[in-house]
Amino acid sequence: MSLPLSPRDGGERYPGFSSVDESDHWDRATQGAVLVRLGLPPDIRFFTAREEAVARALFDQLLDQHSDPRVPVVNMVDSRLAEAETDGWRYADLPEDGQAWRETLAALDQDATERHGQGFPEVTLDQQASLLRAVQDLGYAKWHGMTAARVWSLWTRYACTAFYSHPWAWDEIGFPGPAYPRGYKNLGLDRLEPFEVRDARPAQDPAANAGGDG
Amino acid sequence: MSAVRERNSSAWLLPPRPGVDHGLRKDMRRFEDQDEVDIAIVGCGAGGSTMLQRLARAGWTAVGFDAGPFWDPERDWVSDEAGSHHLYWTEPRVIDGTDPVPLGSNNSGRGVGGSMVHFAGYTPRFHPSDFHTFTADGVGADWPIGYSDLRSFYEDIEEELPVAGEAWPWGDPHKYTYRPHPVSGNGEIFLRGAFASGITAKVGPVAIANGRFGNRPHCIYRGFCLQGCKVNAKASPLITHIPDALAHGAEVRADSMVTRIGFDERTGKATGVHYVRAGVERFQRARIVAVAGYSIETPRLLLNSANARFPEGMCNDFDQVGRYLMVQGAPQTAGRFAAEVRMYKAPPPEVSTEQFYETDPSKPYKRGFSIQTVSPLPITWAEHVMAQGHWGAELRRYMSDYPHWACLGALCEFLPLAENRVSLSEEKDRHGLPVAKFSYSQCENDQQLLKAAQSVMERILTAAGAEETMTVKRYAHLVGGARMAADEHHGVVDSSCRSFAIPNLYITDGSVLPTQGSANPALTIMALAARTAAILVKGD
Repeated sequence: MSLPLSPRDGGERYPGFSSVDESDHWDRATQGAVLVRLGLPPDIRFFTAREEAVARALFDQLLDQHSDPRVPVVNMVDSRLAEAETDGWRYADLPEDGQAWRETLAALDQDATERHGQGFPEVTLDQQASLLRAVQDLGYAKWHGMTAARVWSLWTRYACTAFYSHPWAWDEIGFPGPAYPRGYKNLGLDRLEPFEVRDARPAQDPAANAGGDG
Repeated sequence: MSAVRERNSSAWLLPPRPGVDHGLRKDMRRFEDQDEVDIAIVGCGAGGSTMLQRLARAGWTAVGFDAGPFWDPERDWVSDEAGSHHLYWTEPRVIDGTDPVPLGSNNSGRGVGGSMVHFAGYTPRFHPSDFHTFTADGVGADWPIGYSDLRSFYEDIEEELPVAGEAWPWGDPHKYTYRPHPVSGNGEIFLRGAFASGITAKVGPVAIANGRFGNRPHCIYRGFCLQGCKVNAKASPLITHIPDALAHGAEVRADSMVTRIGFDERTGKATGVHYVRAGVERFQRARIVAVAGYSIETPRLLLNSANARFPEGMCNDFDQVGRYLMVQGAPQTAGRFAAEVRMYKAPPPEVSTEQFYETDPSKPYKRGFSIQTVSPLPITWAEHVMAQGHWGAELRRYMSDYPHWACLGALCEFLPLAENRVSLSEEKDRHGLPVAKFSYSQCENDQQLLKAAQSVMERILTAAGAEETMTVKRYAHLVGGARMAADEHHGVVDSSCRSFAIPNLYITDGSVLPTQGSANPALTIMALAARTAAILVKGD
């Protein structure tokens, strides 16, 4: 399974590559931890219905997931928050992660309503993106009484941890995922394992072609 | 090799396959709470496990407590980034200051083996200059001991882990028993860029045997060192010191959170440790107590052990507990190459340079930095990319380019400052104990080092042919917080790691370090603990 991503945005660089195709080579504990991510997403338990809607729109923006199939990021984050699986620290000027999520999602929804007369999930994708860019651009200035950069850090940390733990995301970036007990035998520049797939467009340096939304 | 086995037979006690010896654990000696054991050690990481092994071997009755589990790597660890969350200390903590330092996965372990379970594996020694930075440069602090006091303990621990690497030209030049490992694309880039820019770089030193060591197998180069080594190739006390400790009659009491140190006001001595296991509060009697909970939990435990004699916290008569806590500035600079680097292959720790470690009189700043390969896996790499401000389509575009990036990390010697400290928060944990609040702010010297390190990393990557570079600012390691000093007005413990305030209370972890150099601290923490154990055994 591959996620929808146009070649212009980095899609189809590793044709035919599938990390899960190699899962017979993974140890059982790892199979258990990883393959469950491909199953039915956990039910939403932490977010209220409104929070879920705002969070879903936020994650779709942060991770550019605008059509199915999607990595179920909102369910994965909700599950962590329901189980209080935090990173083991919080900034002194933010509440603990669960409460920080509730407050920041409400604040984002409020921004949309004040600026556009509709909530965050209801405004256009472009409007959502510019609302987020406004938070990002505040840097260390305050946003609804919170340091904007720390809110941004909270959102992006949870989003990246969920999305890049999913085998479909690994396929898109050429990463084979678990590597025990097989390991690697071909170390060094341009030396691939038989199950790795060479980049079909090695000249697509994103730093050189920066642009587009985001 | 037989000398190592005679000193520490852990590698020969493990089974000749992945996993751990359940026989040793099943048959482990178990003490009663009312037994007065010779020593109760709080924390089974680098410092605590080394103490436990050394003292058990000397015939002491010893119990090592750990708040986390007694890991079974085959069952409990996975070859996966997100699935390794349980390896970190994730109980609540508050971070504050001008430059707050994230904790958790970055620098905090739990469970038997401590944060060495998920450390990268670099095990450099400190340089002789690290022990007198104040006299030499007017910054930091002088240790009450010198490099020569630690040298033989460095040599012992290097053999026991064991360490592989090239002959080391920096600090006190020395060699390693095991040859350097082959390097991956990331290491090749570093070596090539260093050579082209006139910088000396070396392979190692890493605590991963190159070849079989006892019953521990060879590394399989799978790159998941930071997720716990299921192979048993990378060292952690779980496999390097705990098996030998158990074979000599030590007990490891896992899943047991020590909440307070017992104290007798009449004798002025520690009496044991209060701990919670399975929700039940208990008390273990002990003749000596050693605290090895690392730089956040050790000060927190001392502060939470306040009593009538020590109203401001145990050993805190002079407001030293929790202070001078240090992190290293650890910016990471990545470079983009036309070739496929695939930095996730092979252990992240491969190549390093200590050419910039010492004070350079031609620079405006004191002390220096080291540079090492680091190889972020996708989640950590995504945070690196997001830190550049990229998100949405731009993030996905950058991430699809992952195989083309190489990444170096610096360790900058941030200076010990009194206001960088642990104190107690209003917030309580599930045991009802105040959680640690860690406040951190950089000084100007720190910021100058960050800039200098970044420019050297950019120079190396560019010389290796990088088309673009990008840098993320972050921190690594924790040391200090209950430092060693010449007297009780300047620190918490003396040169033998014995607390000034209580004659039978020791601190044997990274919190005793007065300065940190730009070396990864694990080896030094173990060497210091081995030295304290030797002093205790000699004096017994």
